[in-house]
Amino acid sequence: MNQDTVALILGTVVEEQVEFTLVELCQASQTEQELVVTWVLEGILEPRGATPENWRFGGDALRRACVARRLARDLEINPPGVALALDLLEDIAALRARLEHRGVR
Amino acid sequence: MKFHDYYETLGVARTASQDEIKSAYRKLARKFHPDVSKVADAEARFKELGEAYAVLKDPEKRAAYDQIGSELKTGQEFQPPPDWDAGFEFSGGDFDAHTAAEHSDLFEALFGARARGAAHRPRQQAGRDHHAKVLIDLKDAYQGAQRSISLRMPITDEQGHLVLQQRTLEVVIPKGIRAGQHLRLAGQGGPGAGAGPAGDLYLEIEFNPHPLFRVDGRDVFLDLPLAPWEAALGASVTMPTPVGSIQLTIPSGSAAGRQLRLKGRGIPGPPPGDLYAQLKIALPPAESEAARAAYQAMALAFDFNPRAHLKG
Repeated sequence: MNQDTVALILGTVVEEQVEFTLVELCQASQTEQELVVTWVLEGILEPRGATPENWRFGGDALRRACVARRLARDLEINPPGVALALDLLEDIAALRARLEHRGVR
Repeated sequence: MKFHDYYETLGVARTASQDEIKSAYRKLARKFHPDVSKVADAEARFKELGEAYAVLKDPEKRAAYDQIGSELKTGQEFQPPPDWDAGFEFSGGDFDAHTAAEHSDLFEALFGARARGAAHRPRQQAGRDHHAKVLIDLKDAYQGAQRSISLRMPITDEQGHLVLQQRTLEVVIPKGIRAGQHLRLAGQGGPGAGAGPAGDLYLEIEFNPHPLFRVDGRDVFLDLPLAPWEAALGASVTMPTPVGSIQLTIPSGSAAGRQLRLKGRGIPGPPPGDLYAQLKIALPPAESEAARAAYQAMALAFDFNPRAHLKG
C-alpha cells in the first residue's frame, strides 16, 4: 500500500456555501442527468430556475441525491417509490431526534 | 483467499431460480440497506449481499461460480484453478474501480480484473468525485479543529491491477459544522485521465457519540440532575458544556422534565444553536439514621399526596 501525505486542506461546507448546477450535481452524486431530471419532476429535488440549464440546487440536494441514487440502484425502486422512501426516512429521522432529546436511546 | 458462499449469503438453495434469487436479495436488501437500516453491521451485511447478488443474478457469472464452489464453505481457504473460467464470457459493464474496492478478494479474483481489462478508458476525462464519512468530536464543531483523516482510495496501477492507496489528509474542520453536513475538498477525489482535472472529495460529517450530550441539528441537550431541595428552593449549579463548565441558576420551584434553554450555547453559527438542560430530580438514598429522620420530617411537614390526581 502506498503512503502519500498532503498538506493542510480547507474545505467548503456544502450545505451552506455551495450551489450545484445540474452537471455538477450529477458529477458529485455520481448519477446520470436523465435520472436527476426525473427526480426533479417527481419533486425529490427542488432546484431554483425554469429550465434544466438554469437549475441551481441547494447544497442539501447532494445528500438527497446520494440517498436517492443508492435506493434506486440497490433496491431497484422507481422514482415515485424513491420519493416516498425519502419522505418516510425524513419523518423517521425527525421522530428519532425527538426520542433522542427525551433521553430515550 | 477466503471462499464466500453466495447462496448462503442470500439464504437460497443452490437450485434456486433467478426469480427466487431476486426476491431473496430484495427482501434482505431492504432489511440491511445502510440508508434504511439501523442494524449495527448493516453496511457490512449489505456489501456481502450486493456482491452475492452481482454474481448470482447474472446467469453467466452464476454458472462460472457454480463450477468452483459446490464443495466449499464460507471462510474456507481457496485458490481458483488457472483455467476455472474457460468457456465463459463476461460482458463486464457494471464494474469500475470505485465499487470493485468494496468487493472481497474472491470476487476480485474471479470477476474483477477481467471486467476492468475490457473497459474502455477515454483519453481525457475528469476524475470521479469520491465520498467518505468522517467522525469528529462535538467539541470540534464548537471550536473548529484540524484533523488527520486516513482514506483508502482505489486506483488502477499501470498493469491494470486494482490497488488501494492509503492517503492521509490534514483537514480543517470548520467551526459550526453539523452532523450530516458535507465538506467538499476540491481536487482531492479520483485522478483525471489525461489532462482531465481531478474530482472532488466529499466528507460527510458525523459526531462521535458523547456520554453526556445529545445533538439535534444545531441544538445540544444534556440531562441535569438536581437534588430535591435545589429544584424546590432554587440553586446555582455547575453544569458542563462541550467546551467547559458554566454556572447555571436554577429557578425555585423547578419541576422534573423542565428544560432550561441556554440561548446561543449550542453549535456556533449564524444563527447559533441552543443548549438545553433537561432537569431530572435525583433522590438521595435514605441510608443513615439522619437521612431517614430528614425524610420523616418531610412527611410530617407536607400535606402532600403525589397520587391525588389518580382518584377516580
